Amino acid sequence: MTVMTRVFVRLLLLPSWMIAFAILIKGYGDTGDGFSAGVVAALGVLLQYLVFGVETMDRMAVVRKARWCSATGLLLALTVTFSPLLWGDTILTHSPGVGASPVHLGSVELITAFAFDTGIFLLVLGFCIGAIDLIARATPRKPS
Amino acid sequence: MMTLLAFSAALWSWHRPGEGINREWAPTWGLRLHFQADGLASLYALLATGVGLAVVVYAANYIPVHLRHQHRGDHEIVRFYAFLLLFMGAMVGLVLSQDLLLIFLFWDLTAIASYFLIGYDQENRNSRISAMMALLVTGISAIGFLIGALLLESAYGTFQLTELAVMAEPGHRLTIAAGVMMFAALAKSAQFPLHFWLPRAMAAPTPVSAYLHSAAMVAAGVFLIGRIHPLIEPSETLLHLLTLIGIASILTGGVLALSRDNLKQLLAYSTISQYGYVVLMFGIGGEYGVVAASFYVIAHGLAKSALFLTAGAVSEATDARELSAMGGLWRQMPVLAVAAAVSAGGLAALPLTMGWFKDELFFKAAYQENRLIQAAAIVAAGLTFAYMGRFWIGIFMGKPRGPVKSVSPLLVAPVVALGATTILGGIWPDPFTRLAGSAASATLLAPVGIHVEYAMSAETIMAFIAFGFGTLIIATTRLWSPAATRVAALGARIGPERAYSLTLYGLNQFSDKIHQIEVRDLRSRVASVLFPAALLVGATLLSFDVAEIYDHGRFQLRDIPTAVLLLLVAIAAIAAAVPRDHYSMALALSGVGFALAVVYSLFHAPNVALVAVLIETLFSLLLFGFLALLPGDIDHAQVVPSDDPASESNIHQARDIVLAGIAGLFAFVVAWGVLSRPAALESVIEQHIVLTPSAHGQNIVSVILADFRGLDTMGEITVIGIAFLGIATHLRRRLAR
Repeated sequence: MTVMTRVFVRLLLLPSWMIAFAILIKGYGDTGDGFSAGVVAALGVLLQYLVFGVETMDRMAVVRKARWCSATGLLLALTVTFSPLLWGDTILTHSPGVGASPVHLGSVELITAFAFDTGIFLLVLGFCIGAIDLIARATPRKPS
Repeated sequence: MMTLLAFSAALWSWHRPGEGINREWAPTWGLRLHFQADGLASLYALLATGVGLAVVVYAANYIPVHLRHQHRGDHEIVRFYAFLLLFMGAMVGLVLSQDLLLIFLFWDLTAIASYFLIGYDQENRNSRISAMMALLVTGISAIGFLIGALLLESAYGTFQLTELAVMAEPGHRLTIAAGVMMFAALAKSAQFPLHFWLPRAMAAPTPVSAYLHSAAMVAAGVFLIGRIHPLIEPSETLLHLLTLIGIASILTGGVLALSRDNLKQLLAYSTISQYGYVVLMFGIGGEYGVVAASFYVIAHGLAKSALFLTAGAVSEATDARELSAMGGLWRQMPVLAVAAAVSAGGLAALPLTMGWFKDELFFKAAYQENRLIQAAAIVAAGLTFAYMGRFWIGIFMGKPRGPVKSVSPLLVAPVVALGATTILGGIWPDPFTRLAGSAASATLLAPVGIHVEYAMSAETIMAFIAFGFGTLIIATTRLWSPAATRVAALGARIGPERAYSLTLYGLNQFSDKIHQIEVRDLRSRVASVLFPAALLVGATLLSFDVAEIYDHGRFQLRDIPTAVLLLLVAIAAIAAAVPRDHYSMALALSGVGFALAVVYSLFHAPNVALVAVLIETLFSLLLFGFLALLPGDIDHAQVVPSDDPASESNIHQARDIVLAGIAGLFAFVVAWGVLSRPAALESVIEQHIVLTPSAHGQNIVSVILADFRGLDTMGEITVIGIAFLGIATHLRRRLAR
């Protein structure tokens, strides 16, 4: 690995996350969704793996906490799915409902479907990083 | 204590029938929680709780001793009571239910509870086999009940028995539906030819037999016949079938009961025979038939449970289980002898017991029918008289053999109580006939009033002929007993039990074979999914008019890029199938994926294309990661088989190619067929497109994923979570090494 690759790869991390974030929040209005965002973000991290190796990656919080990331995502999606039962609606009734106008944060609409998508994002992100990390650790290293 | 309360509650509800409960349960499926304490329910609930009370008292003494015999801890008694009370609850729930699915639910609950009760001595292989047999016979036949219920629901749109009884019209559908439901009932009542599970179930501790196999589980079968009688009645065929099965069971049970030496076996065959009576009476039908059936169930339940408890008590006293190993017990156990005599007399229909009236009603019902049924009735009563005589005389009369221990009064008291009830019914039958009458009116959906008393009539003469016949049988034991034993041996060799075990064995072998083929290696696993799927799909396809489905449209200039890409996909796919090393196969596979992603983008589906590209990337990474985990020296040998033409791997390879070819061919045919006719899907998609803005979105794919089909997505992401867990558990173990 040359110094150039190291520098470039490190520089690429932040943009890849930004793109992932954009895909996530724009998902409802434009191309993209939680799944794609999760994979893009994970690919950004995995690129670091190639260059810096498993041991260095331990320093990144998202690698150490991949399982928690997945679990949180699943829990979030489950919450969005089943909480409508608490107030008597059917499963996965999103609010605000049809016709009601949602709260805006800039141009982003805050709706429960978005929370659901965020859950998928977290789950997929955790899965991709966690699975590759586990495989990387389990692979027998050839003596160099 | 609680059982006493339950019994009182059942008694109270009989005297004051309430409104019942009728609530919605799962409205989209039309399920209702519909309970109603009508006459039929009262009868069986009283029987289940009343006999249950006697058995619970008895078991309080019997089970601890039983456990001590087997060197088991006292705490196991908890399991006994738990399942016994579960059974009682299920039984009461069953008889109160007015909804077919609810009946099915409780029906299966009784089967499950009985499984654990019959298999209570779980260390004993024989009890485990018996428990499984009882569960299989009654459980599989219960599916028949479900089928019948669904058939009726599909025709009339309700599971409510009260509505069905009014709506159902005679016809093939009703006959079939009622027939399969009747089948379940007959299996539960241990009727010929599915009677064999009952004698086997005698492996259960005596209190279980006394409860399940006299007044509860087997009674549930005839209860069900009483419950669905309005559905059976329109069909002459079914009624004739009931009559025939009833007579067959009476004869089988009766003859075999005469040949048994083991006390409980004798009683078990007697039960088969006695419920044969009840089934026969339902077959005869009419006011008398149904009242007689209901009355019979009461008299039989009380007497038979008392006799089972007697068998348990004398076995406890003598450590013997065979008639030939005991005798002369009346000296040591006079109270039990009298109580047992009353109960045996009750079954044998002696005067001054409730049994007299049960047979009087039985003969009254039979008297209206033809000579054959009258003769069968007399033979049946004679057989009962004979084996009951054999039972009682064998235990209490004759020469004493071996030492006799004294038993706790708690083992005798329930027998006395049950015997006293039998006598009470013989002296003052009114409450019992009223109970039977109200049960019959619930069955016939019309008021019934039948009164019995001691009077000379044709029935009395029939009864005395039966007594004479019975005495004759007892007196001539020497003459017929070898023949009866031979019949029993023949039945064991070619009877239905043999068929059952052969079927079970065969199915087991078959399943083992399939399993062995499936798990031999990864390829057979994949093949065992793809190949049957291809066959199923193929069979469906071939049953359609194929020519019309296939259509390839016109090829236009603007299709060229798509065609080129698809050609690339095809080449990559073929390359992936050619065995080389794993990495090139994986690369070829991802080539397929990426090319397809480009095709999506050509079809103006940016979102799908984006996801496809990302998935391909991720999959390739995972695939390569896993390939790196494989031990490197083995994979090559597996992919490229050795050159030896006779080697097994060559045969396997040829087989794999054939199977894969067939699976691929059908997948291709189906895909083509679907793509030629995408019309049906469009309407849903159009709706989705229209509705997307109202779900606060513009990206149709996202909205479908998160909203319209959100539950599917939820399921899929749960699978991702589970897959993650799986990978983690597997690889962590590897890391630990």
